[in-house]
Amino acid sequence: MIALLDTPIDHTALMAAVADPEHGGLATFLGLTRRESDERAVTALRYEAYDELALSELTAIASEAEAAYGARVAVVHRRGEVAVGEASVAVAASARHRPAAFAACRYVIDELKVRAPIWKQTVHADGGTTWIDGCASGDPAHAHAHGSAPHA
Amino acid sequence: MGADIRVTVRLFASLREAAGTGRLDLNVPAATTVGALWSHLPEGVRDHGLPEGLRYALNHEWTLPGAPLRDGDEVALVLPVSGG
Repeated sequence: MIALLDTPIDHTALMAAVADPEHGGLATFLGLTRRESDERAVTALRYEAYDELALSELTAIASEAEAAYGARVAVVHRRGEVAVGEASVAVAASARHRPAAFAACRYVIDELKVRAPIWKQTVHADGGTTWIDGCASGDPAHAHAHGSAPHA
Repeated sequence: MGADIRVTVRLFASLREAAGTGRLDLNVPAATTVGALWSHLPEGVRDHGLPEGLRYALNHEWTLPGAPLRDGDEVALVLPVSGG
């Protein structure tokens, strides 16, 4: 299962997608919207994807993890608004034993964060918004916050 | 003008907001490179300045700024990503 979703992530379905009777370890990672960023209250994150390349990049990353760790991998990412406490991204990886399951799961989330063409915009409690995309935005006090994204 | 080609530029995040659209159709001289497209964008986008770390995709695959364009190509300007 590899997808961009406009609705909340079904964590159980993600785990079911990688279930395998030969696999004794299953690791999952969820990235959640945190309620604060740079000491400023956050109400939500908004995600935008370059769908075609995001899907092919996620597919490539999952295949790499499957080949390297003998794993089965599922990964989904939200589009649109994700409220505080909700998951924006989820990875599930199963493998014969836990070290490979953990490693595959970590590989996928780490690679996703640098390779998948997906961007987040912080929606602040005061109504301001900030894109995290390396561009100075219309919110000069908190422009350019790459590397201080409000979760994970 | 017969030598012009028509290409589509996809924009995301700050660049999409600056352009007021995520998709621009442009007429540019034949053999314009991917990297040279920036100078053909509307002023409201170029006012941003060429973003540091900008990467490019051509017809949904990563490419380099020197790649030449053909009629009907689609180029995406990919700002530093922040998914997850």
